[in-house]
Amino acid sequence: MKHYINEKEPVLTLHNVVKRFGGVTAADHVSFELYGGEVFGLIGPNGSGKTTLINLITGIYSADEGNIMLGGKKVTKLSTHTRSKLGIIRSFQHPRLLGRCDIETNILVGVDLAVRRRLPQARDYQERMNILLETAGLSGVNLKDSTERLSYGQQKMLEIVRAMLSYPKVLLLDEPAAGLNRSEMNYIRALISMATNEGIAVLLIEHAMDLVMEVCNRITVLNFGKQITTGLPSEVQENTAVIEAYLGGGGQLAANQ
Amino acid sequence: MKNKKKSSIIVLLTALAVFALAPLGMGNYMLRVLNVALITYLCVLSVYVLLGMCGQNSFAQAGLWGVGAYMAANLVLRAGFPPVIALFAATAGTALFAFVLGFAFFRLRQYYFTFASVGLMTILNGLFMNWEPVTGGALGMQNIPKFSVFGIMLESEKANFYFILIICVLTFVVMRILFYSSIGRSFMAIRDNEIAANCMGVNSLLTKSIAFGISGALCGIAGALYAFLSGYLSYQTFTYQQSTMYLIMIMLGGTISPVGAIIGTMIISLLQEFVRPLANYMQLIYGAGIMILMVVQPEGILGGGKALYETLHKRKRTGPDAA
Amino acid sequence: MGQIMQLFVSGLSTGVVYGLIAMGMVLIFRAVGVMNFAQGEFLMFGGYLCYTFNQLLGWNIMISLILASVGMGVVGVLFMRAAYWPLRKAQARAIIVSAMGASMVFKEGSRLIWGSIPVKVDRVLEAPVKLAGGGIIQGQYLAIMIVAAILMLFVYLLLEKTFVGHVMQATAQDQYMASMVGVPVIFSIAMTFALSAMITGIGGGLLAPLFFLNNTMGATAGAKAFAAIVIGGFGSVQGAVLGGLIVGLVEVFGGAYISTTYQLVLIYIVLIIVLMVRPQGIFSSKIQEKA
Repeated sequence: MKHYINEKEPVLTLHNVVKRFGGVTAADHVSFELYGGEVFGLIGPNGSGKTTLINLITGIYSADEGNIMLGGKKVTKLSTHTRSKLGIIRSFQHPRLLGRCDIETNILVGVDLAVRRRLPQARDYQERMNILLETAGLSGVNLKDSTERLSYGQQKMLEIVRAMLSYPKVLLLDEPAAGLNRSEMNYIRALISMATNEGIAVLLIEHAMDLVMEVCNRITVLNFGKQITTGLPSEVQENTAVIEAYLGGGGQLAANQ
Repeated sequence: MKNKKKSSIIVLLTALAVFALAPLGMGNYMLRVLNVALITYLCVLSVYVLLGMCGQNSFAQAGLWGVGAYMAANLVLRAGFPPVIALFAATAGTALFAFVLGFAFFRLRQYYFTFASVGLMTILNGLFMNWEPVTGGALGMQNIPKFSVFGIMLESEKANFYFILIICVLTFVVMRILFYSSIGRSFMAIRDNEIAANCMGVNSLLTKSIAFGISGALCGIAGALYAFLSGYLSYQTFTYQQSTMYLIMIMLGGTISPVGAIIGTMIISLLQEFVRPLANYMQLIYGAGIMILMVVQPEGILGGGKALYETLHKRKRTGPDAA
Repeated sequence: MGQIMQLFVSGLSTGVVYGLIAMGMVLIFRAVGVMNFAQGEFLMFGGYLCYTFNQLLGWNIMISLILASVGMGVVGVLFMRAAYWPLRKAQARAIIVSAMGASMVFKEGSRLIWGSIPVKVDRVLEAPVKLAGGGIIQGQYLAIMIVAAILMLFVYLLLEKTFVGHVMQATAQDQYMASMVGVPVIFSIAMTFALSAMITGIGGGLLAPLFFLNNTMGATAGAKAFAAIVIGGFGSVQGAVLGGLIVGLVEVFGGAYISTTYQLVLIYIVLIIVLMVRPQGIFSSKIQEKA
């Protein structure tokens, strides 16, 4: 079980963030804090607003109310590319790779961002790249191949490798395990572990409960855009409101542990 | 892989050899055709950068070509600058023009930019046709001197050929450098997945404007070279139809590489000369040909070649799941 | 005052034809998600078909218009089959280039068939018509407006009130779903292209008496239709009509008060202003674009 790391300053703070689409409130006064080196789980039934939150944090959507802060700095009004240059990096539910470029080019996009961020260690990327590829189970891959030759799981992992090459401060993972088999999930665990060891604040959206319960330090649960509860995995698992949200009343939330 | 760089160099050297030896067998008329083809190649290359690399479709390239041409002509004829300065200034001026316009146009979503480019082309052509003090209006501009540098004037078609060829080779090399650079990757990221690009630090508006600016630079060079080569400019050269020809040329050759630009340009430019008896039907053949090409091989000749290569050398699949 | 009225009427009537072309373009765009770069050629070709029946065969203009529109329906289906259908799964770029190729085929084909000398067609209404307010307008303008209004009503009724129209709209919104519920997608799309070609082609026959037919007119017609669509509201049928009217008026008034040489430029300056200020046009509408 991971240790809960209590840093003094949160890396990412959401404060009363609201997002409406027409009549629907996709995010309803959502607040939480992310600390470096921890994994913060974001779970909830489908349609509860999880991906909307990632879109709000990265700036693809702009918040109607509330604030998002990176360190002490307000990023609520900044554009997506500016936020990524500050270190807010994400992966996507369905991998968004550059389909007409080879694997190496895809990876280099991550390195380019590190260079743009003026990080001193950015230029010597080879070693980091090799470590990441190995951690992701991609070390046998021919870098000059098209990304289409990778399996779905490999493509998802390549996205995380790309993200990690830019030395994120906050890593937002949108259902990284979806579509992966059990052995591929080990690579996800390894990558998440590498991120937390580097002090990165990781936000994990997931449906695979065993993964969530295993790697998360804290979890918040969303339903219809509202936070039902926030706390340790063990607390959340027993929370009746959470169980009802998932199962619509009755039954136990049985985590495969 | 070493192979790709190696084959690039082999292609380049072969093409160079062919081109360098070409004038030996040709009369002035064919050389002029070849010179104009090379200048056209530079404009098609501008489409490569904007569309092939960055995914943005513009119909204004012939207009930018005209901007470069009229700029160079005016600088030499009316302001008395030496051709070398005019060449650089026309290049930089057209690049800046496109770059600044980019900031206005690229706020719009992809399709709208294409429409705006049609608008720009129309406006530019209208200006070329009517703005007498600058472009000579419907009569155009005449008596533009041939290019000269360090006191040497390029009088003959052959001399111009080598000069233009050198410039084309240099731009080709620059394109390769661009492809392997981080700005080049930013172009391709926008082309393939703009949202992912934004999430990885790529500023859409700025990057697209830079692409437009580079395309403007290429058209600017082409325009200046054309002004010096041909000696006179007319609005009838810089038309929307010409812009569509550029698109057809690069689709024919393959948008994936500057080599595609060469192939497409050469085939179409030279085809016209070699099928004189069919001249009346040429446009019809192009039209039907391009329709067939899009069905059979939308990636153009290069795409077809690549597909052929890959079926002949069946590559091993990576990873455990070979789908 | 009389002159302004004249300009207004001529602007409206050319504008309404631009509206027809634009409407044709929007119908195709809504159905397949790509702009038809050969729409202008539909106008030209329809005009030439009308010329064939009316001038070469000597038949009555109304009959010629009807026959031309039937012919254009066939042309529309052939066009769809050759230029769009094989590429329906390809990138938008490939479809656009294919349509450009088709427009070249149309242009050169009509040059080879009918020659390059501009030709004319009979007017529907020869005599000038007296208006209620005491003014006089050319009969053809009135005829154009009436025919165009009828066509637009026809399209509206077809799309909104008939089964075939509903099928066409459903396919336009979601091809996949439509095929799932048993709609013959290719048939529906063919109908859409046929309809688009028909209304645009009639426009060609209506404009021909005023402007002369020649094989290069497709390009400017298409350009004006683009402008109309963007100004009026990208993807919306009412927008296409309104945009067409605006383009017609700008063209005529711009030509009269500023300069005829800069007419197209003026239209495009308006286009660019609209794109900067309100890119979605006057009537905006949510449509799926092909990526």
